[in-house]
Amino acid sequence: MYCVKCGVRLQEGVTACPLCGTPVWNPEEKPGEKTYPDTLPRRHSESNLPSLFFLTALTVVVIVVELAVCLKLYGALRWGGFAAGGVLLFYIVAVLPFWFRRPLMVAFLPVDFLAAGLFVWYIAFATGGRWFWSFAFPVIGIACLLTVGLYVLLKYIRRGKLFIFGGFLILVGGFTVLIELFESVTFHTPMFLWSLFPLAGFFTAGLFLLLGGIIPPLHRAIKRRLFF
Amino acid sequence: MPKKWYRLDTAALIFPAISRRDWSNAFRFSATLSEPVDPEILERALGDLKKRFPSFFVRLGQGLFWYYLEESSEPVRVMPDFAYPLTFMSRRELSRNCLRVLFYKNRIAVEFFHSLTDGHGGSVFLATLVARYLELKYGIDIPCEGPVRDPDEPPPAAETEDSFLKYAAGSAASENEPKAYRLRGSREPDGFRHLTTGTVETQVLLDAAHRYGVSATAFLAAVMAESVIAIQAAERPPKRQKPVRITIPVDLRKLFPSSTVRNFALVLNVGVDPRFGSYTLEDLCRVIWHTLQAEATPQNMAGMIAANVEPQKITLLRLAPVWLKNVVMDLVYLRRGEGGGCLNVSNLSVFSLPEAMAPYVTRAEFIIGPQRSYPHNCSVLSYRGKTYINMIRCIRESELERLFFSRLVELGIPVDIETNRR
Repeated sequence: MYCVKCGVRLQEGVTACPLCGTPVWNPEEKPGEKTYPDTLPRRHSESNLPSLFFLTALTVVVIVVELAVCLKLYGALRWGGFAAGGVLLFYIVAVLPFWFRRPLMVAFLPVDFLAAGLFVWYIAFATGGRWFWSFAFPVIGIACLLTVGLYVLLKYIRRGKLFIFGGFLILVGGFTVLIELFESVTFHTPMFLWSLFPLAGFFTAGLFLLLGGIIPPLHRAIKRRLFF
Repeated sequence: MPKKWYRLDTAALIFPAISRRDWSNAFRFSATLSEPVDPEILERALGDLKKRFPSFFVRLGQGLFWYYLEESSEPVRVMPDFAYPLTFMSRRELSRNCLRVLFYKNRIAVEFFHSLTDGHGGSVFLATLVARYLELKYGIDIPCEGPVRDPDEPPPAAETEDSFLKYAAGSAASENEPKAYRLRGSREPDGFRHLTTGTVETQVLLDAAHRYGVSATAFLAAVMAESVIAIQAAERPPKRQKPVRITIPVDLRKLFPSSTVRNFALVLNVGVDPRFGSYTLEDLCRVIWHTLQAEATPQNMAGMIAANVEPQKITLLRLAPVWLKNVVMDLVYLRRGEGGGCLNVSNLSVFSLPEAMAPYVTRAEFIIGPQRSYPHNCSVLSYRGKTYINMIRCIRESELERLFFSRLVELGIPVDIETNRR
């Protein structure tokens, strides 16, 4: 039996040409013999458990040593607490997802921001700063929403990247104004001192991408320029 | 008795360094018999080969400065074949044995980690294994000719030497090459390898090649280059195209008097730059054939061998710990080793078994796995008037295979297609 498109002779019993996908059918032909069995190999890749155990043990040792040194030297946590928190934050962001075969990033991203928020709260608490609830909390919260939103859109919507990135850039521009607002409320600094500049920059870039999404020739030009 | 151990030969050094968690460099030789394989007899035949081929029954060990091969304490098991050839050889597996013997229906296949040997060594091992199997099963006497060796003889020292060190030139050839076009596609998430075997009559293939005044290897490489050029042309405008170069392994035993069964091959990247204009098949055949003729000379290859051997002689590099060497070799390999070509067309030419084996062995094949950074590879072996062109890929799209085989049909070479259907 031959493929009418490729001209190659096919194995007995195939229903489509394996090269071009053209369906083939010969009612008189018996199912042919398979050239390979169906058994798939059990393991496809090597385990990364040893390195994960090593990194986890290393994190624990570093944290314990830091805390122990500080407690011994000063009788209090002092810088040891901040350093330990930093190491723990790094572990949560960079190592924790690898314990899972298919880490669900939609779940991990908020966890990362939560960890960062707790770390910053601890710094504010330990230094007696009154800036957490009015400044750090909303900033981290909005950053989390923006990042998760971008991730979800990129992951689950296949098309419209220019619209997604354009919209994201405009939102980031608005976010800088909000950061200045929280800063002004918390630290009593004057409003609109710096945030309008990044707002203008991000807004222009975002608008350009949105226009690129709407105008096909611009779309092609952007694609050509950003080609790699 | 102390365990025998071997340094990795010059070409073999790279393979452990560039292995990844889901990829290692391996290749496969298989022979299809006239009757179903008896795994017990196969296991006995395999056991009989241990004395003759000590450098194959080894494990990969890691020293402080280098990897090494050490006589393995675990026997190589004969096992049933899988749904696709060249399933991943993990570091754990390599730390026990560096080769696998598989069977499926009438077929015996041996898969080698590339640090052990190259295509020539693989063919010698498989031929001797099959000869021993036939002797045990049918009680026939097979003369030791061609690739078949006598399993009862002690192994000559020349067979386990690193011939690269012996034939390196006084100074090294330059290794700078432009980066070639990279084929892409949607990778199979579970590492499945699609194998497409195109069977053609050797004489028809040779006639077609001779019509263009070139060898079968140059002809197949030219058709492959033409297919890759077509894929690239559909993907990007001419200005942004990259050179299309086919990687052709050269068996150095044909240029130097070596009888080693370890690695002794180097690759040449030959091809054209589509930015300079369009090429007909005649042009491609001519360019590839003349480049091969000009570059695969003993002098030039000795220079290339020297370029491979020289870094090993630098004391500072030798003293670097193995993990640091891995990082450096990995970078050098991706830039120079794989960067210069689009895919391999590895032709081992004719596999000529002794006449006494002919009634029992109906088919022989040679398969190389996909490279780390490019998804296709092609390997060719001729046996008893048929040429088996094996194209393997780790992506879903079969565009390259379609272009390549349908072009062969267009050129008047009938092709029979077989695949390991999913």
